Amino acid sequence: MIADWSHEVVLAATILSWFIIGAGLAQTTIYLLQLVFAGYALSKRPPVARSALLWQRYGDVAPPIALLVPAYNEALNVVESVHSMLALEYPNFEVVVVNDGSKDDTLQRLIDAFKLVKFHRPYEEALAHQPIRGLYSSPMTERLFVVDKENGGKADAQNAGINVCRAPLFCVIDGDSILEPDALMRAAQPFIDDPERTIAVGGTIRIANGSRIEAGRVREIHLPRRLLPLFQVVEYLRAFLMARLAWSSINTLMLVSGAFGMFRRAEAVAVGGFTKGSMGEDLDIVIKLHRYMRDKKRKYRIQFIPEPVCWTEAPETLSVLARQRSRWQRGTLECFFRYRSMLFNPRYGRVGFLGFGHILVVDVLGPVTEVLGYILIPAFWLLGILSAEYLLAFTALIFTYGVCVSVCSLILEEAELQRFPRARDLAVLTAAAVIENFGYRQLNNFWRVKGWWQFLRGNQGWGEMTRTGLGGAGKK
Amino acid sequence: MWYIWDLSILLSALSLVIMLLLTARRLLQERRDRATAEQRRQVLTALIAFTENRDREALKAVVLAVPAGVAIDAGFEFIALLRGEERDDVLVAFNECGLPARVARQLQKGNVAARIHAAEMLAALGSDDASASLLLALAQDRSREVRIAAAIALCDLGSLPLLGTALDFIGVAGQRSRRLIELFRRFPRSRFNELAVHASRADAPPFIRAAAIDALAHAGGFGFADFFAGLAGDASPEVAAAALRALGLTGHAQAPAILTRAMENDDWDVRAASAESAGRLGLPELAAPLSALMDDDVWIVRYAAANALRSFGQPGERLLRQIASAEVSRRQRTASLILAEGPAA
Repeated sequence: MIADWSHEVVLAATILSWFIIGAGLAQTTIYLLQLVFAGYALSKRPPVARSALLWQRYGDVAPPIALLVPAYNEALNVVESVHSMLALEYPNFEVVVVNDGSKDDTLQRLIDAFKLVKFHRPYEEALAHQPIRGLYSSPMTERLFVVDKENGGKADAQNAGINVCRAPLFCVIDGDSILEPDALMRAAQPFIDDPERTIAVGGTIRIANGSRIEAGRVREIHLPRRLLPLFQVVEYLRAFLMARLAWSSINTLMLVSGAFGMFRRAEAVAVGGFTKGSMGEDLDIVIKLHRYMRDKKRKYRIQFIPEPVCWTEAPETLSVLARQRSRWQRGTLECFFRYRSMLFNPRYGRVGFLGFGHILVVDVLGPVTEVLGYILIPAFWLLGILSAEYLLAFTALIFTYGVCVSVCSLILEEAELQRFPRARDLAVLTAAAVIENFGYRQLNNFWRVKGWWQFLRGNQGWGEMTRTGLGGAGKK
Repeated sequence: MWYIWDLSILLSALSLVIMLLLTARRLLQERRDRATAEQRRQVLTALIAFTENRDREALKAVVLAVPAGVAIDAGFEFIALLRGEERDDVLVAFNECGLPARVARQLQKGNVAARIHAAEMLAALGSDDASASLLLALAQDRSREVRIAAAIALCDLGSLPLLGTALDFIGVAGQRSRRLIELFRRFPRSRFNELAVHASRADAPPFIRAAAIDALAHAGGFGFADFFAGLAGDASPEVAAAALRALGLTGHAQAPAILTRAMENDDWDVRAASAESAGRLGLPELAAPLSALMDDDVWIVRYAAANALRSFGQPGERLLRQIASAEVSRRQRTASLILAEGPAA
């Protein structure tokens, strides 16, 4: 009887271990394939080094762009951010700042700095959003418009901006991010090369912690001095240079970051704009675009290009990072389950199979199986239920392949882009790429499982994002 | 399962070795970059001195003393700032140093970004062999972006083959690029008829036809007004809209009738284009159709119509006020909005 029971335990443990290792293997295979695709894509389309060349080449045919900047309680940085946006190098753009019912004096600071006056601008109410209290323009520059509206969240503010803007393309960025001067010109390139099919383009987000920032510009690139943002530098490289580039190369890009993404207005309006109240409004709109274009049987491209860079501030404390990662996880789960009918649905082709399949393996199952693995595989081994082979296989999938994937992302960056100015930076990043697999990765997975739990409990809070401010001042 | 472990160790070790090599390469590159910056400074100093003393031998000595890549890079940036005789003299010196030949090699052997840049540099350097290299790139390069860059460079050099041939070389996928607008805008006046032929080809992509019409409208002037009038009723909305916008620039005796007809087109882009052109022409007989268009289902069309009326000056404003004070309707609301546009009182 006991023997039968132990046999069943061993069988159950073996099956469970196989499932955990299988999920890890699937995830690792996806990463390795992504590296191959990303490497190929980068080698096929090497970046243009000098922005002056881009201006010469595309300046006359660059389409108008509206830069939409939702701002909520951004009084501390908003004026400097807007100044830096107005100084972007692009022939035809307007900056539409949407004050989303800030409780601080964000609007007043803008009014004072840019001598804003109330302005009437007819616009189509194509997308629903909270009421607009007033539109403002500046006699100092024709490029700036400010929309003052009642609070409705980021997506709601972006929808108001889409309604008010007149350009055929709009670019969403976070109020506290910094675009490189040539970022718009670089991001607009796919819209110039293939204007009929390109409907959205994402650029790279990089971490500005530690860099020298003056007057809303990143003057000198340095690595963060703290370990936590340093790990995030490697993480962002992996997410952007490896994953997004790879998916973009096969037109299955599922995410254009909300911190910096460019969209064709007509299609964004056709899908109803950003989904209000969504935790992952950036993932949500891209999925909606895929669905819409495939339903309409229209040819389209959603692209990621690595050169346009938007700098952002990464959380420096565990508690803030934990909230951010749990929220991202909830956003992904929310979108996955909202559009679950697309999963493995032949109607949506590679988006349904590869795009959604990837979300299923990496984001939905990935954190749960990995955390289960941390607990169960060593326990099974210690109890003598599993052989050392299983333990080693799991260790390989988590740690050694993890090191390989992170370092390979760095290799891609160094081989093609070389954005880190010093050789010393590369050495530090290589060390970070190794170390992050021992502790940081596990923490991250724990936060993601927490996000799962919050999702199951219906927790919709954003949590407080405490930042120190890119200029160094503290803000919330 | 051992193979999972073994392979992971192998791949991780390999990636770390590659990264180590790349870091070492970067160390060497840092030194080389410092040297390159110094050489670049020397070339630019020599070029500035040349514009003052025209000592070609001194310039050539500096150019030949630095790596060709550095000289080409700095030289290309510098000649973009020069015009006339000064520029010609610098180009002669560059030619005598063999820089164009080096750029031509880059056009064949570089990566995509380098090849596009090489095409642009060849057009600027304007050597005798430039056209041959560019023609080869137009015909044979595997990247459509390079082929387009070569076509634009050839156009600048006055050596572009017949437009149909060039577009065939660029390929169907390349014919969707907005860069072709750039090509068409650079077209020499003497070859406008080729643009016109292409714009009227029903089998050509509408985007290209519209771009050709746009280029003709901006540079060709009234001479093509009849041609635009003919295309205003084209089956492709994109082409019809471009022709209507062109008519707004050139004008035409039949413009009121053509624009009024287009305001009833099924496609909103065509209706908006006709409203836009009506506003540009400012003909009083278009006021009534424009005010009717302010009832359109599509906001962009309504806005274009109201804006057109506003651009008529006082008569248009009067009409808008009249509509705005009438009973509530879509037209009335559009008129009110357009009249209120601007700084609040």
